[in-house]
Formats: sequence, C-alpha cells, structure tokens
Amino acid sequence: MNKVSLDTFHLEARDINVWFGDRHVLKDVNLQFPSNQVTALIGPSGCGKSTFIRTLNRMHELIPTAGLAGSVLIDGQDIYDESVDPSQVRLKVGMVFQKPNPFPTMSIRENVISGLKLSGRKSQISDDLVEDSLKRASMWSEAKDRLDEPALSLSGGQQQRLCIARSLAMNPEVILMDEPCSALDPGSTRRIEETILELKETMSIVIVTHNMQQAQRVADKTAFFLADDNQPGYVVEFGDTQQIFNQPEDARTNDYVNGHFG
Amino acid sequence: MNLEPVARPKSAEPWSRTTTQSRLLQVVASLVPILISAAAWLVLGVDPIVVVVFILLPLLLISIGTVGFLLKGKRGVPDAILIVMTLFLGTFVMVLLLSVVWSLFDAGFRALSPHFIYQNNVYVTPTDGLEFGGVGHAIIGTLLVVGLSTIITVPLGVATGVYLTETRSNGRGFVRVVLQAMAGLPSIVAGLFVYSMLIVTGVSQYAGWLGAFALVPLMLPTVSRVTEEALKLVPQELRNGALGLGASSWKAFFQVTLPAAKSGVVTAILLGVARVVGETAPLLLTVFPIAGTNLNLLEGGMATLPTYIYRFVALGFDTAIARAWGAALVLMILVGILFGLARYISRPKSIKKKKVNR
Repeated sequence: MNKVSLDTFHLEARDINVWFGDRHVLKDVNLQFPSNQVTALIGPSGCGKSTFIRTLNRMHELIPTAGLAGSVLIDGQDIYDESVDPSQVRLKVGMVFQKPNPFPTMSIRENVISGLKLSGRKSQISDDLVEDSLKRASMWSEAKDRLDEPALSLSGGQQQRLCIARSLAMNPEVILMDEPCSALDPGSTRRIEETILELKETMSIVIVTHNMQQAQRVADKTAFFLADDNQPGYVVEFGDTQQIFNQPEDARTNDYVNGHFG
Repeated sequence: MNLEPVARPKSAEPWSRTTTQSRLLQVVASLVPILISAAAWLVLGVDPIVVVVFILLPLLLISIGTVGFLLKGKRGVPDAILIVMTLFLGTFVMVLLLSVVWSLFDAGFRALSPHFIYQNNVYVTPTDGLEFGGVGHAIIGTLLVVGLSTIITVPLGVATGVYLTETRSNGRGFVRVVLQAMAGLPSIVAGLFVYSMLIVTGVSQYAGWLGAFALVPLMLPTVSRVTEEALKLVPQELRNGALGLGASSWKAFFQVTLPAAKSGVVTAILLGVARVVGETAPLLLTVFPIAGTNLNLLEGGMATLPTYIYRFVALGFDTAIARAWGAALVLMILVGILFGLARYISRPKSIKKKKVNR
C-alpha cells in the first residue's frame, strides 16, 4: 500500500454493514478514497458494490427496508450524524446512475441547471455555468446548438453525459458513478472515460464497473468485492489498480480479474 | 461501358402483402353473412337484435374461420375468431355509445337555441312553448357547484395520491380500503350525510356550497386513485436523479415527479369531474333548485343541469320534456368543452423541430 497521510483521505467508509430487512448484504467494508483520484469498485453481480456506493451519499436510505451500521466520513465529518441533512451530503457528493435519467419535462439547458434549481441556489445559474458544465462533460460541441430542445431528443450516450454535466454544475467534491457506461456503446464509453480522467483534476471519483479494461484505464485504486452464496459481500482486496490487476495478493482476485469467474 | 442508372428499391410493406385471391376470399366471407342477415331482417322480418346475435355473429365466425383455415391452416382459425370477436364487440360498444349521443341530439335539438343557453326560467310555466326560457341559470349553477367541489377535492385527492405513492407510511393500506369504500358509496348517501349534518342541525339552509360538499366524497376516490396510478408510472430513477442532486424531497416532488405525471394528474381531475357533473341525488338533498339565476354559493337556491333535467322530466308536459332533453344535451356539450380545455391547457410543451442538417 502507498503511504498516504490520513488528511488526504477525502472520503472514508468505516465498518460499513448493510442490511435489507433481515438480509445482511455487506459486511465490514473499510475503504479510503484519496483526493483527486479515481477508485474503481469491481466484483461479480450481487456482491453489493452498487449498494455500497449508495451509502456514500445517503441514497441507500431511500430504499425501503434499508439498514446500515458504520460511518462514512467526508473531511472527518460523519455524514450519518444526526445533525447532517442528507440533501447537503448529496450536494457535496454527486451521483451518476447506471441508466441515463435526464428529466424528461426539461430542455437540455434546464437539465444542466436543474440541480441548482432543486437545491434552491438559483442565483448561481448563468449561461457560463451551462457552457462550462457541458464542456467538462465533453458535451458542449454536441449540445450548444440545441440547448432548448428536450433532453430526451439526445442519444443514450449523450443523455448520460448530460447527467454528468448536471452533476458537475453542482460543483461537487466527489462524484459517484454506478456503472455509468453499462448502457452505452464503445464510442460513448470512451468519451465518458476521457471525461473522468479530466474530472479527477478537481474532484474525487468512485466508479462501479463490470468492465476490467475500464477499471484499468481510469482507476488509480481498485477495490474487489465478493459475496459467497447467501453471505454478505465484503472487500477481498483494495490497492493500487496496477497491483490489483498484475500482482493480486489474493487468489480469488487473480481469478476474477482474469475472467475465471463472475 | 454502358452505365445503367441503378434502380433504387421503393419503400413497401412486404409484411402486409396479400394476393388478390385471398383478399377476395376474405371480402366474400365477410359479405355473405352480412347479406344473409340483412335478408333475414328485411325479408323475413326477424328482430334485428336476434339477427345480429344469433345469425350474423355465428355466420361470421364460421365463414371467416373457414377462410382463415384455407389461407393459413390450423393457426388461421383462432386468428380469425379473435379478429371477428374484437371487431364485433368493438362495433357493438361504438354503436351503443353513438346511439346514446344520437338520441341526445335527436331529442335535445328541438329545445336548443341561443336563448336556451343564456336565459333563465323565471317567467316560464311548464306548458310554455320553447320560444323563451332556458338553462343559463342551471349552467351557471353546475359550473359553480362542480367548480367549488373540484377546488376542494383536487388538493385533498392529489395529496392522498401523493401519500399513497411517495411515502412509506403504514397507514396506506387502510387509506386504500377507505377510498375503495368511498368509491362504492351511493351518491344519495353523500347527499343525506350533508343534509343530516349541516341542514337538519341548522348550520345552514339549502345552499350551493352544501351541494359542493356532498359531491366531494364522490369525487375524492376517483381523483386520488387515478393520481396514485399516474405517479406510480413515474420511474424511480427520476426521483433518485433529483434527490441525488441534493434536492429536498419537497422540491424533487414538485419540480420533477409531478411535472412528469402532469397529464395523468389532469386525467385524474377530469375523471373526478366527470364522475360528479351528472350527479342528481346529492344535489336534490342539498341545493334547492330555483328558476332564477343565483351566483351566490353561500345562500339561496341554485339550479344545476341534472336537477333541472330531473324536475322537467317529472313535469311530464311535452315542452318540459323537450327542455329536459335540451338540458341533457347542453350538459354533454359542456363536459366536452371542459375536457377539451383541460387537455389543451395541460398539453405537453411543443417539441421543437429537430434540425435535419445533421
């Protein structure tokens, strides 16, 4: 492991355990996400990666029957503290979902600024912000002539980049991406990966992916999740991406990254 | 070299290609039963309903089924039966509906005239001709009573629908049961309830607002259940998208979920209005129908179209019955106009033309 002093951990999950009703789905997850780095979460389906990522900005609690133990620290502050308003957490920690979900009743421009409207920061809305956000999501050249068209007139890949732009307009400190490319073609995937690499200059990124190549292309760190049959998921190995893929310490990690199961 | 222009293929519909022969067979198979039935009705004088049900339908099933078998083999038979039944039942419902509309026009048109729309009934005796007097006061009364009822019900009903979809409260099952019970409430009971609670106890005399109150429990279940269904159709991803951007659940609902369900909620309101606009019994018990115009919902009698129809049919005179039919026609047209307006107001934003030069 790299030696990193504690204060560069921007986001940290401590002893996260998750339940849905009586079902224990995640066990003792401890992960540290350093500033300005991309962390990939890999592992077979159903091992709790998406569930885990949703605990990082309190989206997890929106699922009925959800339960949680442990803490998530942003700059040392526990986001599950009583005094913390979940919507404030979600302002700092943005999210891009698996399926593009632009707001269908809004135009492209309105979608980009929707976060500011929804969080009551209308005074920050400006044309510059729209342009800047779309540029950072590498969407500007495609969207600039059609800002007032409905968001659903875009292709799937464009819609996903619009959703990224929508998150960026909020100027979050962390962006969580839950399989952002799983519904996209290779061209759109490549553009989103380029976007991720540009974005990490200014924020930390956590990305769930099923694509080994994608993890290797974009991630600085990688965490491998696994769940045995009917057992809660856990982190098998966490470390630098190169190490996880080339010299994994655990045999199961080796099998997974080489495609032997999952 | 001799360059022939390449023949471009033309757009066609190969999946709906039929040979002239099979087309002819189908036409004959449909026409023969119709001709036989027509002959049975016109020549033999069999009752037309008997002809349609016992001659036309079985003959059509047999002939179309046979043609289906000849053209497609075994699998053609269920196809043919399905097509015949669908068309037959569809036509049946259309005929029923159109005959209702037609009889309204047929009987109501006699009374219809410009003054019938805007005059009231103050100096009209039951036996007077149709040269003067009208339902203007009843149109105003219906709009006022149903309007007030809608104003009261929509916030309650939409809020109930929101409660049922957007919360995880344990009380939802109970609320659904109560709504179902309310939907089965005979309308006269709603009238009796208001009558016994507010009129017998002396809180108020007969007045328009009491009628509006009596309509609320009839309208509420429709509005809330249809709103619930409309909100259920909004994908969870949209709510998550809004919440993930740091929206409060309040703003996420009003700026994302509700706009996405707008046309469904408007439908809920329209269905609610349609449910009560023709209600007579609750109004008979709560609003005293008068012949003059009254704009005050809080005091005095007020005519409404359903109670007007009820009274004039009961009078039994030729012109009075004609007026009742006219009022029924006016009620139907009024509802049509209201629905058209509501649909127009709530139409989705016009989508701009996509640029072609891409």
